[in-house]
Amino acid sequence: MKTFYALGLLVIALLTLYLTNTLEWPQRITGTRIDPLPALIVCAAMRAPVLALTLLAVLGSLWQTSLSADPPGISMIPLFAVGVAVSLNRRAIHTRLWGARFAVAAAAGALVPLATVGFLMLLGRQPLLGWFSFWQLAVMSLASGLLTLIFFPLLEWLDQAVEDQPFAAPYDTTTRINRKPY
Amino acid sequence: MNLRPYVYATGFVLGLAAVLLALSPRSAGQVKLAAGSFFVPLYSAEAGLQRVRNYAANKTASRDELLDQNQRLALTNEVLRIQIQQLRATAEENKTLRIQVAFAATNQWKLRLGQVTGRDPANWWRTLQINLGSRHGVREGLPVLTPDGLVGRVHEVHPNRSRVALIGDPACRLSINVQPSRENGILTADGATVFDHTIVNLKFLPAHTEARGGDPVVTSGLGRLFPRGIPVGKLLSVEPAPGALNSRARVKLAVDSSRLNEVWVILP
Repeated sequence: MKTFYALGLLVIALLTLYLTNTLEWPQRITGTRIDPLPALIVCAAMRAPVLALTLLAVLGSLWQTSLSADPPGISMIPLFAVGVAVSLNRRAIHTRLWGARFAVAAAAGALVPLATVGFLMLLGRQPLLGWFSFWQLAVMSLASGLLTLIFFPLLEWLDQAVEDQPFAAPYDTTTRINRKPY
Repeated sequence: MNLRPYVYATGFVLGLAAVLLALSPRSAGQVKLAAGSFFVPLYSAEAGLQRVRNYAANKTASRDELLDQNQRLALTNEVLRIQIQQLRATAEENKTLRIQVAFAATNQWKLRLGQVTGRDPANWWRTLQINLGSRHGVREGLPVLTPDGLVGRVHEVHPNRSRVALIGDPACRLSINVQPSRENGILTADGATVFDHTIVNLKFLPAHTEARGGDPVVTSGLGRLFPRGIPVGKLLSVEPAPGALNSRARVKLAVDSSRLNEVWVILP
């Protein structure tokens, strides 16, 4: 478990949630409140262990809903699902290509709010939805993709700064090569 | 790949989410309060920064500017005091007339100033957070306003902070009165656009309404949630509905909630 890395991740989540709660100008410009958690969990899932992802999904969701009229933890399952999906497929994603990171985070930025609204409706709540919701979804998706451009280098730096790096790792020691007999 | 940690984590998250979503409103409020306590140092730091900024501004403001401002405020104060005298006479007259026609006496509002500390991060609610809570006498359902008009009502109360549901949120539907025609209607949550949250729909106006664009809209006092006569906004347009039971209209709200820094709560 990367303890300091996980703690750093949670601090970043707390700070970005605080900023989205207090800063008014992004909504004045775009008409939409930007959710930083989908982008953060996508970037974290590319490097962090599953325990850190779970902590981020649980605490991030609880913190976010404590500032909102949403029921507590409503976005927990969507966030965790996105994190696990990216984590399980991280070898298939070209994390070094910013376009790939952007695409994955943009998809997460649309899926997480959609699933959250779905859960709200299942609970019998009546969220404000209309034609403007499509615009908001598009902005959230785009913003989520763009946020990876900040979060990914930041988390990479954090990982290198607070965790011990192996002296030498010329190849991936966790990979097993299964040779089939010909 | 070892999938066992993923299975355990999925089980934990699903179980926790199920427990959280099944909580009673009171327990859910306590969970939110506990989770929100992580932001207390950040809010305190922001308040400290604000104090430093105010101190610096006070130190650097020029004497001429302050004198000029003081003169203007003294003038405004005099005008307001004369208006209060005039209103006091009207209030006395109103009180006498109420006694004569056996109308219930109106109470004077007990107001408390609160600061807006945050806005709802979710796009599907229209709420904001203020720095007044149950310790300051705030209770659920109390009206919140500014000198320009009604803002909303207190929706969720914690010891030191409250959540205000703004007009246009599903938790803040209110009965209004269109002023010259004295027709009642209900302000609903739909009608806003992406960039203008100050437009809401007005429903259940009479089918042959006499209301016209530009007419002022105030609270009706029905339902006893909001006192009567608080300005809400102005009618933008009325959609006549020939043959229907009632007609609809669009209302431009008097208060732009996105630019609010301070609000007044009417205490019981």
